[in-house]
Amino acid sequence: MDRRKHAGLARVKEAFLYDWQFRAGVAGVVILLALVVAAPLLASHDPYEFGVDNLAPPGTAGHLLGTNHMGQDAYSMILYGIRTSLQVALISSLISGVLGVLIGGAAGYFGGKTDLVISELINAFLMVPTFFLIMLIVALFGNSITNVMIVIGITNWPGNAKLMRAQALSLRERTFVRGAVAMGETRLQILFKYILPNGIFPVVANTTRGMAGAILTEASLSFLGLGDPNIISWGQMIYAGKNYITTGWWVSAFAGAATILTVIIFYLLGDGLNHVLNPKYAFESRGK
Amino acid sequence: MKRYVIRRIFSAILTVFIVLTLNFIIIKAAPGDPIKSLMGKDTNDPALRAALEEKWGLNEPAYVQYGSYLINALRGDLGTSIIYNSSVNSMIGAKAGPTVLLGLTAALAALVVGTALGIFCAQHEGGIIDGLLSAISYALDAMPSFWLGLMLMIVFATHLGLFPTSGMTDPRSSYTGFAHILDILRHMALPALTLALVSVPGYFRIAKSSVVQVSNEEFITTFRAVGMSEKKIFSKYVFRNAILPTITTFGITMAFLITGVTLIEIVFAWPGMGRLTMTAINQRDYPTLMGIYLVVAIGVSVVMIVVDVVYALFDPRIRYE
Amino acid sequence: METVLQVKNLSVTYRNKNRSVQAVRDVSFELQKGDSLGIVGESGSGKSTLAMAILQLLPDRAAEVSGQCRFCGRELLGLEPRLLQELRWKELAVVFQKAMNALSPVHRISTQIEDIYREHEPKASRQEIRERAMELFQMVGLPERVYRLYPHEMSGGMLQRVSIAISLLHSPKLLIFDEATTALDVVTQGQILEEVLRLESVMHMSRIMITHDMSVVAAACSRTAVMYAGHMMEIGDTVQVLKRPMHPYTQGLLRSFPTLRGQRRELESIPGTLPDLSVQQPGCVFAPRCSCGDGRCHAQQPPAVRMEDGRTVACWQYGGGGHE
Repeated sequence: MDRRKHAGLARVKEAFLYDWQFRAGVAGVVILLALVVAAPLLASHDPYEFGVDNLAPPGTAGHLLGTNHMGQDAYSMILYGIRTSLQVALISSLISGVLGVLIGGAAGYFGGKTDLVISELINAFLMVPTFFLIMLIVALFGNSITNVMIVIGITNWPGNAKLMRAQALSLRERTFVRGAVAMGETRLQILFKYILPNGIFPVVANTTRGMAGAILTEASLSFLGLGDPNIISWGQMIYAGKNYITTGWWVSAFAGAATILTVIIFYLLGDGLNHVLNPKYAFESRGK
Repeated sequence: MKRYVIRRIFSAILTVFIVLTLNFIIIKAAPGDPIKSLMGKDTNDPALRAALEEKWGLNEPAYVQYGSYLINALRGDLGTSIIYNSSVNSMIGAKAGPTVLLGLTAALAALVVGTALGIFCAQHEGGIIDGLLSAISYALDAMPSFWLGLMLMIVFATHLGLFPTSGMTDPRSSYTGFAHILDILRHMALPALTLALVSVPGYFRIAKSSVVQVSNEEFITTFRAVGMSEKKIFSKYVFRNAILPTITTFGITMAFLITGVTLIEIVFAWPGMGRLTMTAINQRDYPTLMGIYLVVAIGVSVVMIVVDVVYALFDPRIRYE
Repeated sequence: METVLQVKNLSVTYRNKNRSVQAVRDVSFELQKGDSLGIVGESGSGKSTLAMAILQLLPDRAAEVSGQCRFCGRELLGLEPRLLQELRWKELAVVFQKAMNALSPVHRISTQIEDIYREHEPKASRQEIRERAMELFQMVGLPERVYRLYPHEMSGGMLQRVSIAISLLHSPKLLIFDEATTALDVVTQGQILEEVLRLESVMHMSRIMITHDMSVVAAACSRTAVMYAGHMMEIGDTVQVLKRPMHPYTQGLLRSFPTLRGQRRELESIPGTLPDLSVQQPGCVFAPRCSCGDGRCHAQQPPAVRMEDGRTVACWQYGGGGHE
């Protein structure tokens, strides 16, 4: 019996009702998306506009969260920053997810020398702090936001690959896969038809954590001056606010707070997804 | 045991090799002239160009260049910094000390505090303190380290004036001996605290889940049936078993720690490799950046080998594979 | 005949913030010296909980134990911890199921045996302990070299024998086997059961075996008790209970085992599932699944009635007025 539906809709519904992390994570993401769409309506100022009040503390003259050293309204900047964060999170995770799943799946399923080489590569990557590599590449290739997203994506695949590989290794022995082999399906067909779709679930949950990590990485890069100065991002805000930290702490502070909240939302979503996708996890209100 | 250690060393060497290769590929693949990258975008000294071309063998086919790069690196020659015109080696060497001091202090502090709190919460699971600490841990995990550093700096250094805001020592005075050490400690307090705080969640989580898991194992019930005191059961049997994932975690968090140290050093102007990295980035000093990446990779690999060996000492199952 | 264990109306209730679950209800039985009692039941029947309750190993916070449980005349429930500690292992020992971690994986067998031995003989020397261990190892058929090994270096069968040897360190009066052979293959299980029987006659031990496997009980226990949903349905001489089961549940259990010989017939399983133990059931707890229940079975709980052949059954069919 092939377990194609690891998480049937029934389980997802159950998770929504009983698992507070899943609920909170989903709700959080929905709110973030809504804010992205509604940003132009909700913002009090054009975030790119250089106003007259520099470093105005929160509450002055219609600036809910104050302004930065160029007179930009912090509140509006934070709202528009959501878009950047979500973009970075999504695209880099997509890239690292696809790469990880393909490479890990191939390694686990094909085995042999391919697996040996790829495994050592994965282990090496996981040992070394990838942040330095990212720094190096962005410094060399340019610090546009697109570059940043792509680079984060292509350096984060090993984590996903390791998970996918483990899945592929165990799926390889399953009856329905062996059946397909016996029926003459080619290795590539089996990889794409059975292995990848069935093994992908833990990778999905891991990717959510990856999204949180991507946001933090982008912030760190911006803090080092490797961010994209043309884009509104929270990392850039903290970086810019660093020099004015004693006279205008609010810019860095609120940008950081926004980052923390967003990251927590993704953590909660990741936890919730893990609960949903793990068939052994029993939701709390279910009695035994 | 010997075979295990040898395999670990081999893995580490492979890692370093991969890092070197990546460095090479990146420089070659980067837009623009690699020599320019190595020279600095603004210089145009023909003699320097000729020297570099010769050293890197740029007129030769790619694999020869690769070979030269590897040989140079193995000899310890990581190139010359564009900006300072001194060898990358010496620059990194000078700055490595303060970084290791800060990093190691914070890492050990996080290990001890995080693990202790995790054990406590495992034994009082579901209580108020458990809930509180778990929530705080969650939040700390989501915090950009540099942001936390900035916030702590504002509160403790600027407004409360308890700690200095930057540097490793007070530049205006010249302390010696014990006073000197105290001065360094005062300067190290906030950066170490920041770094330790963001590292604690990992240890907290792993210690708590590990203690809970081991406490539910059958041999623990057996010891209770024997009449062994809870204290002895915990200190000898639960602890020894539960500490294993913590050891592994120490190795894994090394990578994140190095990243964290770099960022924190910039916030607090700590004279270590973090600052070196910052200036190198600003001025696109690629040889230095590549050198830093390599040194960091080697450093982390060495630490991981040590951690793995320590782990094997504690867990007999690994030793005899 | 000396009564080693006397259990009367023992009940165990697990309480957590939302609800309470009656894991064991009103269980009563006696164990004489030299007896071997096998307690069978499905998962969730409460048999392991019963064992843990007797051993006083249930956490105070989560479980409430009521009733009486006398060991060699001494009441165990509420016994002062210090006195209880003296009994532990010296008189009352347990062998658990061999899971991955029946013993600490990072300590040598010798270390753990020494620690266990010294709980009751703090001044024993290493040499003494080793000698005693070797004595027991020989009894259970283990080679000497096992003493210095780590658990992961042994097979499942060997580990189980080590567990048995450890349980015999102080020659306890009562030994409880909690699913001890469940994780073993049939051959090893057979060997271990043989050895246990041999040891018993040598050491004059009394034994309780908790299992869901009827064959273990049939091979190694003189008496059998059948548990369902926390209640003891039937208890009596093994041959009689297995050959002429009286309680409908026992009959159902036996019918669901295929026979090796004889005619082929369809396997019959007992319809339905375990009831929710957090809800108080009026009447007999097996009634919803029983094929011959009647009105009274659903309304009133049947008392445990002693039969002529010495066994005790809790079913309205056998006493208390008979079937309507």
